[in-house]
Amino acid sequence: MAPKLCVLCETAKAMLRRPKTGQQICRDCFFYVFETEVHNTIVEAKLFKSGDSVAIGASGGKDSTVLAYVMKTLNERYKYGLELFLLSIDEGITGYRDDSLETVKRNQQQYDMPLKILSYDELYGWTMDAIVAQVGRKNNCTFCGVFRRQALDRGAAMLGVDHIVTGHNADDIAETILMNIMRGDIARLGRCTAICTQGEDTIKRSKPFKYAYEKEIVMYAYFKKLDYFSTECIYSPDAYRGHARAFLKDLEAARPSAIIDIIHSGEAFEVKEEVKATQHVQQTCQRCGYMSSNPLCKACTLLEGLERGSAESGLTERARKKLEAEGPTPENIRTIPFFNKTPSGNPGLSIAVEIPA
Amino acid sequence: MSSCGNPNAEADALMTRRPKYDRSKACVKCKSKTGNIVIRHAVYCKDCFFPLISLRFRRTLEPHVNPTLDLHRRKGLKASGNLLIGFSGGLGSTVLLDLVQKTYLAPRERQDGDQNPNGGCPWPKVVVAHIDTSSVLTEVQGESCRIRGVVESYGAVFEYLPLRLEDAFDQKWWRSVGGPDFVHPTGLDIINEDMFLKLLSSNRTSPSSALNAYIASLPTQTAVASGIQALVRVLLLYTAVSTHASHLLLGTSLTSLSISLISSISQGGGYSIKEEAQEEWSDNNEDGTDRTVRLVRPLREVGTKECTLWAWWNDLTVIGKHRYSGGRQDISALTRDFIVGLEKDYPSTVSAIARTCNKLTTKESTNTKCLFCERPVQSGIQEWKHKISIRSYRDLGPDIMSPPHMNLEGGSSGDSRPTHTGPVASNLCYACHTTWTSRSIRGNAASQNDIPIPVWVASRSDHHNDLRNGRKVEENDLQYLIKDFLLDSGS
Repeated sequence: MAPKLCVLCETAKAMLRRPKTGQQICRDCFFYVFETEVHNTIVEAKLFKSGDSVAIGASGGKDSTVLAYVMKTLNERYKYGLELFLLSIDEGITGYRDDSLETVKRNQQQYDMPLKILSYDELYGWTMDAIVAQVGRKNNCTFCGVFRRQALDRGAAMLGVDHIVTGHNADDIAETILMNIMRGDIARLGRCTAICTQGEDTIKRSKPFKYAYEKEIVMYAYFKKLDYFSTECIYSPDAYRGHARAFLKDLEAARPSAIIDIIHSGEAFEVKEEVKATQHVQQTCQRCGYMSSNPLCKACTLLEGLERGSAESGLTERARKKLEAEGPTPENIRTIPFFNKTPSGNPGLSIAVEIPA
Repeated sequence: MSSCGNPNAEADALMTRRPKYDRSKACVKCKSKTGNIVIRHAVYCKDCFFPLISLRFRRTLEPHVNPTLDLHRRKGLKASGNLLIGFSGGLGSTVLLDLVQKTYLAPRERQDGDQNPNGGCPWPKVVVAHIDTSSVLTEVQGESCRIRGVVESYGAVFEYLPLRLEDAFDQKWWRSVGGPDFVHPTGLDIINEDMFLKLLSSNRTSPSSALNAYIASLPTQTAVASGIQALVRVLLLYTAVSTHASHLLLGTSLTSLSISLISSISQGGGYSIKEEAQEEWSDNNEDGTDRTVRLVRPLREVGTKECTLWAWWNDLTVIGKHRYSGGRQDISALTRDFIVGLEKDYPSTVSAIARTCNKLTTKESTNTKCLFCERPVQSGIQEWKHKISIRSYRDLGPDIMSPPHMNLEGGSSGDSRPTHTGPVASNLCYACHTTWTSRSIRGNAASQNDIPIPVWVASRSDHHNDLRNGRKVEENDLQYLIKDFLLDSGS
């Protein structure tokens, strides 16, 4: 029996079935369509302009490793004129993040990009190991997620970049749409399908892999023999997200287009105007100057709870009231340095950046 | 049991189980009797349960009975036409039928705050339609008689109207509901993403075999389930028009609504999110007038548990709803299992889904209706699909660099299939187009032709010739259609 030919080039032998389309294609065509679709996403959303400085959120995992590789490739192929950096956040998880950061350091050499690592310890005075020791494993993902978002913005500001790109893929976005619908988080639902988000004074943040399937990212890394770290976070069990993820995988198995179909659905609807009017207006945190929908941002609220030995106060209304009843915030607790993003992007706090040798 | 991790390995992995009810076992309404049912952590006694469900039913339905929303409080309830109830014999529709009968058709004492102070039924006639799906679901064979019995057990208050799923392919039925005659038998051809309608040489197949051929041509189990669902819905809408009904009621409970919302979103139906809960559907009559039907789901605030209790305490006969299930390969079935399972650990999820979706609207409005499901069609669907996944090198834009490993200049390489978007694809909603073109990982990308189409699609194609593809079939197209059978690509 003659080998099956690639349906795209019709010359080479088909090597794989594309998870996104089900087409049987060759390896070269797979690289080409994967990269071109990311390029289409970037061009369609007008993500960059020539001369932009862009930080790639790098964890050492498959998504960010492939993102760094593809961004570098497309920047050269289509002459975007971008200055690319790697930006990593060290959450302080022994046996997980320290290992994955080693991968990022190798990527720094391989891709010839400057690397900046900013740690939770440096910024908040707490590592995730210390946080888990206080709060246990149930809600630690809330702390980590809130702290990481702000840490990325602050790291980017230190690098003086205009833009952060992250490795969120189509599976992540589809999963987030489902989760936000199921838990009634209308504010996040309204913005989770946006490819690019930017507050008034925050750094632009975007997801070039918005339409890239996780399986294809793994396939790309595998065929390109990219160097990445592939262990799940040791503190990761987020039961609710776990349910949504398992469900999404079932949907994908039943019909592979389900992931992209969910994203299309998410892009087709929006929050009603009358509902938007009831949502919190964006303001800046009184304590640290970061964007917030309340007088205190979530990171400052969580940090105060940790400092005062009442981590629950950042999570439940009852615990927050109990903490308030104990009296005003003591002056001697650690707080997050004030975030004052200037147009040049430098908030006044400078930390040395490692330049590839 | 709620779990955040491995309870055997981690001491704090188990969440504390939340009690089933908030305060005490006393009914939260009358505060005297011991409760009989817990509804989302609130306890109700049997006596308070009935008015509670009745109130939820009326609160959902009555604001939509009068043609304009502002009339109902001042002038009582008066619909502009008859009422059609879609009755499957399942739990939801059985409870719906009972509630309609008890609320509007049985003599009763008026209650304070009743939104229908004039009493009586707002509709001159109430018709109950049941669609027999035994042609495709062997489990339901023989159920039609029992279903007729349930409807007739209420006496002459309801008029029973039996329908068959194959009516969707029957010209006689189409004429009986006032559909315009069409003379050209038309079939559907699919070449991967491209779809076109074409004239068939004859139209000798019976409605039943047309239905079976239609179902057999759907590429996935998900497509079969949603295809049947769409046929049922459109059959009911045209039947509503033919019975001069201003309203069509379906017994979709809160649980079922949440399942269908997530299932629809998972199949790309986000643009029809409003229509999943309630829709205003218009049929363009031959004389140019619009006949509008309001499809309402009055049980959308009543969960399956409450429906079960209503049926149990009222001693209602539930025939049991047999729906198509493609098991692990069917998105609707997967969603049902997922939501029902999630409800045990996260009991508020079901209502959260419906409430969240109720806060959503579509980003842009449209006047185009989908050929198959007759729901709104968003513009630019095909362009969006081409941009996010390259299925042919002919779709590449002029600014895109050609694949470095091949030369496209001479036109010798690249996918040979035609890549134009035909008029059919541009007249389909995203979900219907995906239903026909998205395949499971095990499926073959086989082309299909001469697929029978529902009468409303055939009728529209007959009256709008531009929908039928009259182009000469190119050699490339033919080659693509038969390529799986060619032993040598050069032959």
